[in-house]
Amino acid sequence: MSTSAQALAEAAQPIHPPPTSFWRQYVFSIDHKMIAKQFLWAGLLFLLVGGTLAMLIRWQWAYPYRPVPVIGQLFLRENGGVIGPATYQQIFTTHGLIMIFFAVTPVLIGCFGNFLIPLMIGARDMAFPKLNMYSFWTFLLSQLLVLASFLSDLGSAGAGWTTYPPLSTNVGTPGVGQTLVVAAIFVTGVSSTMGAINYVTTVIRMRAPGMGYMRLPLTMWGLWLTAILNALFVPVLGSAALLLLLDRNFGTQFFVAGASAVRGGGDPILFQHLFWIFGHPEVYILILPAWGILGDVIPFFARKPHHWYKGTVWSMVIVTVLSAMVYGHHMFMTGMSPLLGEGFMLFTLLISAPSMVVVLNWVLTLWRGSIRFDTPMLFALATVFVFGVGGLTGLFLADISMDLYLHDTMFVVGHFHFTMAAASFIAAMTGVYFWFPKIFGRKLDERLGKAHFWFTFVGITLVFGGQLLAGYAGQQRRLFDPFQYTFIHGLRGLNRWTSFFAFALFAGQFIFVWNFFRTLFGKAVRAGENPWQVTTLEWTATGSPPPFHNFDRIPEVVRGPHEFSNPEVRRLTGRDFAGQSEVLPGSAGPALAAARG
Amino acid sequence: MTAAPLPERGYGLPHDVSVDGFRVDELIHFTMAAITVIFVVVAAALIWSFVKHRRGPALYSHGTRGSIGLVVGAVALVLFGVDGNLFVHTLGDMHEYFWNFKRAEAAEGAVRIEINAHQWSWDARYPGADGRFGTPDDVITTDDIRVPVGAPVVVQLASTDVIHSMYLPNLRVKQDAVPGTITRLTFQAKVPGEYEIACAQHCGPNHYKMRAVLTVLAPDAFRNWLADAAEDARRAYDPEDKEAHWGWEWRRFEP
Repeated sequence: MSTSAQALAEAAQPIHPPPTSFWRQYVFSIDHKMIAKQFLWAGLLFLLVGGTLAMLIRWQWAYPYRPVPVIGQLFLRENGGVIGPATYQQIFTTHGLIMIFFAVTPVLIGCFGNFLIPLMIGARDMAFPKLNMYSFWTFLLSQLLVLASFLSDLGSAGAGWTTYPPLSTNVGTPGVGQTLVVAAIFVTGVSSTMGAINYVTTVIRMRAPGMGYMRLPLTMWGLWLTAILNALFVPVLGSAALLLLLDRNFGTQFFVAGASAVRGGGDPILFQHLFWIFGHPEVYILILPAWGILGDVIPFFARKPHHWYKGTVWSMVIVTVLSAMVYGHHMFMTGMSPLLGEGFMLFTLLISAPSMVVVLNWVLTLWRGSIRFDTPMLFALATVFVFGVGGLTGLFLADISMDLYLHDTMFVVGHFHFTMAAASFIAAMTGVYFWFPKIFGRKLDERLGKAHFWFTFVGITLVFGGQLLAGYAGQQRRLFDPFQYTFIHGLRGLNRWTSFFAFALFAGQFIFVWNFFRTLFGKAVRAGENPWQVTTLEWTATGSPPPFHNFDRIPEVVRGPHEFSNPEVRRLTGRDFAGQSEVLPGSAGPALAAARG
Repeated sequence: MTAAPLPERGYGLPHDVSVDGFRVDELIHFTMAAITVIFVVVAAALIWSFVKHRRGPALYSHGTRGSIGLVVGAVALVLFGVDGNLFVHTLGDMHEYFWNFKRAEAAEGAVRIEINAHQWSWDARYPGADGRFGTPDDVITTDDIRVPVGAPVVVQLASTDVIHSMYLPNLRVKQDAVPGTITRLTFQAKVPGEYEIACAQHCGPNHYKMRAVLTVLAPDAFRNWLADAAEDARRAYDPEDKEAHWGWEWRRFEP
């Protein structure tokens, strides 16, 4: 039986035969599921690179001037394995850039965005499958540019991930490495923009019949709003990067100014405006998909509908709108007009309201739920915790007078690691454990998953908590040797212990690597269509993994995404959940259900 | 002379030696208390759900009028009680004290200093007896800034290469030095002693070495030091040494 709406959708998205050649299937694939896997591999690989760089930073703060074991012998041999100040600035610069643009972005947005959007809205593929393929290969090019920068004469970029000029112009970082990295930022921006246009269009145009906006799983809301932010603001970053490249290589002076040593009529602050108009939305670009994933995983494992779904949706929309109006809090100390600064402070304080609604809705979803503590749920709950800590510490930094003391200290580093690093990383892990059975058809081992969880959760809390404490005591960021300062001498122990926890956190990630490969290449245990007993289309309307064309028949959606513990559903089916397109026995069929809304 | 900068206790805020720093500290303590309360309440609700409810059947509810009201009420409470309080206090503090340069400059005995930040030191310039900058009796120091206790200090900051940020942890102030513009900073020390000045903005490989010392002297000691140093400066003045003449006419920002 199929309704007329389904027939229309089928006609618009006919089934194509799957590609048969190796290259078309695995390399130059236009299948959103394969592209998602490509992004996943690329992202996880760079997560390892970025994590290793973080370990070097922590080593330096625990044992300044001592040779780094193993890695030092491999990569810093000419220096006797010791990290020098010039190498150190490259390490923290590339750590930040790699983690944000080349690790978390591809996993959260590249992988989950690609894999989930068509499957969760009930489409056969993205709106522009070829653009999707170009997006991945452009991204790969940007990763190669970053790797190439390490091989250049003066090493990689060293001006910090924020790349503030004049330090990022030839005045401060004359090497080819800095140029390559700025080019990589531009190229990855092109990739993100292509992906964003695709995601936005797909969600608007290709939702299955009956999938109204207020029936979208929250993961879709998160990824869709993120795509909108990407489409609007990544081009701003692109223009800043382009102007910076002109300054570096063609003698322009957009961002170069100075009194005597450096002449030039440009304005370094202009770059900061361009950077943060992108850069603050970027924080939400990374956190909105995380919120979305939590908005689904928490009700799934609490076996309870999401509390005030519309409240969460509208809060996410408001955050998206406000995200570009708060960026000035990164620039409170640049000498900006006090009136402007106060406006930015006001918006920054206001954006805490929708964020609180989102968090409180999670709490009330859990309240009186029948909670199942599977690995994805543990990671989801940890995300609530770290995002909570990150959000609350943000209150200090929203405020100009507290920033007089806290700005550019480790407190800022701790705050943004809790929010955009810890929360988005743990949420990405939530997603990996949760959708792994759908992506690969096999389930990750629960015992190893839980061991990985405890290492990650406790490790992250202690490491980033240590950063908050150091910053609260006044330690600045980005110091090669913090102990040059007498007032920081008392923090030697804190810095060293934080490093020990960081090493443990890093080591714990290899449990995940082991689990990942063992499950993928070990003895096959089929996960089954719907191992978590949840409601959304990818679990209830297709197999694991889904076929090339996703759905044998495009589903017709009849209810919202979180129909759990409904007594009526239990009476009719004996289950505590009902799939989004499931027709319950004895009901009058999808047409009538859709008419009733 | 006083002792060299002393190490702090390690944890917690460094000890405050400024007249207005307590305004920052009070807000920090208020925020800390508020977020602790919020954290404990939310954590208690979560733990209660984990422990008490996990075995029972889940409640079938998309949210009731009452539970949505609870969310809105809690958010409103925090927004007006915490965020609102921070906003109002900060507006007052910035206008009256931290960014009130007019009042600081008008105060009796106010000290004016021009600081040129560059990779990787802080050059300071005091007007000599003539009270004007860019004249032969200007006192110039490097990484050594001296101020009298109990008088407002107004600094005009410039940079000649990359962006730096002047940060005085013990006085709870900070200001970026941006090439091409002059920014301002004001503070008033209340305890004689030596304190550290740090660069807070990454400014190249030796950023970590961009450290200076602020010496807070008794008013007499400061006056004597400045008079002697101005005399020496006049004798050492070299009109050919253009590098040393980086000073500028003191900038009037307010009409």
